[in-house]
Amino acid sequence: MTSQIMIGLECHVQLKTNSKLFCPCPTRQETEEPNSACCEICLGMPGSKPVLNKKALDFALKVALAFNCKINEKFFFSRKTYFYPDMSKNFQITQYEIPVGSNGFVELSSGKKIRIRRIHLEEDPAALVHEAGLLSSSHCLVDYNRSGIPLIEIVTEPDLSSPQEAREFLDELTMVLSYLDVFDFENGTLKADCNLSIVGNERVEIKNVTGKRNVEKALESEAKRQSELVKQGNQIARETRGFDEKSLSTKTMRKKETEEDYGYIFEPDLVAFELSKPEIEKTRRGLPELHSEKAKRLVKEFGIAEYDAKVISGSRFAGNLFEEFAKAVSPKIASVFVSRDLVAIAHHEGKELEEISGRINAVQLKELLVFFEKARINEKTLKEAAIAHVAGGKNPVDFVKENNLFKDAAGSEIEKIVSKILSSNSKAVADLKAGNEKSLNFLVGLAMRESKGKAEPREIKKLIEEKTK
Amino acid sequence: MKVQSVLEFAEQARAGNIGIEENTHKILDKVFAANGMNFFNVISKDLALQQAKELDSRVKQGKASGKLFGLPVSVKDCICVKGIESRAGSRILDGYLPVFDATVVSKAKAEGAIIIGKTSQDEFGFGTFSTNTGIGFNAPKNPFDSERSCGGSSGGSAGLTAFADFAHVSISESTGGSIACPAGFCGVAGFTPTYGLVSRYGLIDYANSLDKIGSMGKTVADSALLLESIAGHDEKDSTSLNEKPSFADEKNFSTKGLKIGIIKDFFGEGINPDVSKIAWNSIKKLEKAGAKIKEISLSLNAKFSVPAYYLIAMAESSTNLAKFCGMRYGAQESLSGSFNEYFSKVRSNNFGEEAKRRILLGTFARMSGFRDAYYLKAMKARTRLINEFRLAFKEFDVLANPTMPVIAPKFSEIEKLSPIEQYAMDLCTVPSNLAGLPHISINSGFSQKMPVGIMLVADYLQEKKLFRAASALEELQ
Repeated sequence: MTSQIMIGLECHVQLKTNSKLFCPCPTRQETEEPNSACCEICLGMPGSKPVLNKKALDFALKVALAFNCKINEKFFFSRKTYFYPDMSKNFQITQYEIPVGSNGFVELSSGKKIRIRRIHLEEDPAALVHEAGLLSSSHCLVDYNRSGIPLIEIVTEPDLSSPQEAREFLDELTMVLSYLDVFDFENGTLKADCNLSIVGNERVEIKNVTGKRNVEKALESEAKRQSELVKQGNQIARETRGFDEKSLSTKTMRKKETEEDYGYIFEPDLVAFELSKPEIEKTRRGLPELHSEKAKRLVKEFGIAEYDAKVISGSRFAGNLFEEFAKAVSPKIASVFVSRDLVAIAHHEGKELEEISGRINAVQLKELLVFFEKARINEKTLKEAAIAHVAGGKNPVDFVKENNLFKDAAGSEIEKIVSKILSSNSKAVADLKAGNEKSLNFLVGLAMRESKGKAEPREIKKLIEEKTK
Repeated sequence: MKVQSVLEFAEQARAGNIGIEENTHKILDKVFAANGMNFFNVISKDLALQQAKELDSRVKQGKASGKLFGLPVSVKDCICVKGIESRAGSRILDGYLPVFDATVVSKAKAEGAIIIGKTSQDEFGFGTFSTNTGIGFNAPKNPFDSERSCGGSSGGSAGLTAFADFAHVSISESTGGSIACPAGFCGVAGFTPTYGLVSRYGLIDYANSLDKIGSMGKTVADSALLLESIAGHDEKDSTSLNEKPSFADEKNFSTKGLKIGIIKDFFGEGINPDVSKIAWNSIKKLEKAGAKIKEISLSLNAKFSVPAYYLIAMAESSTNLAKFCGMRYGAQESLSGSFNEYFSKVRSNNFGEEAKRRILLGTFARMSGFRDAYYLKAMKARTRLINEFRLAFKEFDVLANPTMPVIAPKFSEIEKLSPIEQYAMDLCTVPSNLAGLPHISINSGFSQKMPVGIMLVADYLQEKKLFRAASALEELQ
């Protein structure tokens, strides 16, 4: 009998606002210079006071609405007090009693609903830098550039029943973040505290796992560890564990007997905030088309394959890219190029398409696709040029020109090659005429070799078929 | 000797009839000479003289303007002045030089104020007599009797204001009575505004939902002029109100028909009879001048405001004080051990006893298991106590009571008081502070040659009413 697993996630997502949650400092900057984007407020200097960034609130509200949450019309902030060197005030301004949104849900592809307990806004602590690695550094440095960057925390109920389901949930989450344009996929971070238990046993928390893939790996490793313990008849200890990305395993951080006590009080420097019903409705109406609706629309409107439509609607970036390409070439070519070729290039680097968006120039790629549609380049060249563009920063059209990869250069030659191949392989031609398909492939192969890969197999095949009719 | 009013001084200074640098020098000499009175934690001589020079040259250029032009202004230590050590009376902030001016300080400077220094106080405002000083600080002495306290926590501000034989006002701060109490004990006017009327940006927090920056002056008019200069909306303080009050510009008003409620709970038990009598005499004078007097009981406030106040104040302050750990500013210790050990060492060695007491009590009051019974209950009580005031203001323009139950006690007497006995001294000042209502304390007379304060309280944003009533009473004294 396989044991039943329960997983709950607390996801922390940095929001893509220009300024920090409670001060005007920038959230992103040109240089990596530590402690260059901070002020008296995010440094927690005596006398400074927070002022809420309304944009961050708007972003949180959008996420809560997209996840079907009940929006609390009146909410406030609280102080969560604990001592830690990354905390500028030794308390974090967060939301406790009443978050922005609560009681929402996300629907997985199976139709299963994952309940969202709450979505709230809070400030990111500073970053701790261990120069010689976490274990061997004698000291640690603090970089306050991160201090005060807005985060939303999304807390699920323990409704996820496998690491794969957790991954699917996170994919849904990032798709929503992408559509709402509230997350910086290139520079922002997504972290999760993962709670996993085997029904009837104690719960274990894996703290601070960065990225979707690591969450899935951490949960897989933890599920395996716990299952084995249970199988052997051992107890599972209530504890907090950390995930080691190198060994892909979890390790004990601290045993905990009881819940930590943060001594929450209302944040008295911020007033209670009120969102009126019309304001909430306005935001709801202003939400962009989300991915599931978009996938349906793409199939209907462009007649592309369902698989491609699903991949393309998986991120706002891919969707926009497709629609841009589809203005210049057929939806089929555009969709296949985005959902297979570009996605494969990103995956090759271990990334999502959105994460390499900064290296993709839609105008240049569009030009490349036009060449492909007009059959001036073949599929192989298309892929190579795309790789040279994304991985090498090369203009793909220049790449084709410089390497003389245009088919037309060889255009009239192909016919000559085909004629030559046909005349010197009369047995294979006879077999083909007799209906032997293998002979066709044999002849195409020969012609391809002769053209040194510049010709298109489809085109050669067509020529051979015409000439052997 | 009658001291020139702030209004008159600024007028003369703007007209070029007062050499500002010369006057500032003279005043700095006086305050240095009185150093033994402990009114100051820091005297900002260089800043003051530099400002004075600039103002003199502005006069020469014919560009003199500002309500506080050339006026020496002292600032309670807990209010940040850029580049001037600002410690809120605590050793844990040794060496903290704010990189910014508190909004009230920039507003005062913009009106031509000269910042002469940071006045002494109880550490972080945690006291009633300015005797809960931080390690290495001294308690200010009362100018009427140097064996007695100035009151607290804005003790240095009040002592200096009473002591000064020159035009001067002080930017002070009240959480539970820290302006009214020392103003009462030193016989000066202490004006605490409606919560939110004056920006708290740059105030080193005691308890944020209670802290109010206010003013002290020799007269109601002086204190009102300063308050008016520093009040107004500030986008850097989210609790700041969108109000720009004007209340210090009137003269010749009548008290005829003014409805005064006498809070009888604060005239009986626990109040020194002589103090009670002196405050009553003042009220009788107002009645003679046409005011309508009636007794009222605020029984809920009399009973519950002190405990509710201390729970909220300590819960908030215990979180405010968490940031002091020797990492980014202030006192440091030699680096050793884990961060926890280091933080504990810094905090153990540099907080005074009362600060530690309030951190412990405040932390206890907000821990789960106790939070509902203490912190949240106190927050609920606060709403009911405010409602009691709201009802009272349906009937009255202002409410009156003695500011403190006693005259300024001797240091030797204070030593004998337990913390609870000290907290109980705030009985009359805490209710209006907990409710965030504007109030003023002015001198009502003398007992054993020591000043006795009377306190007037008005409804939210009724500073003008308060100013009128207090000015009228001041005239009648």
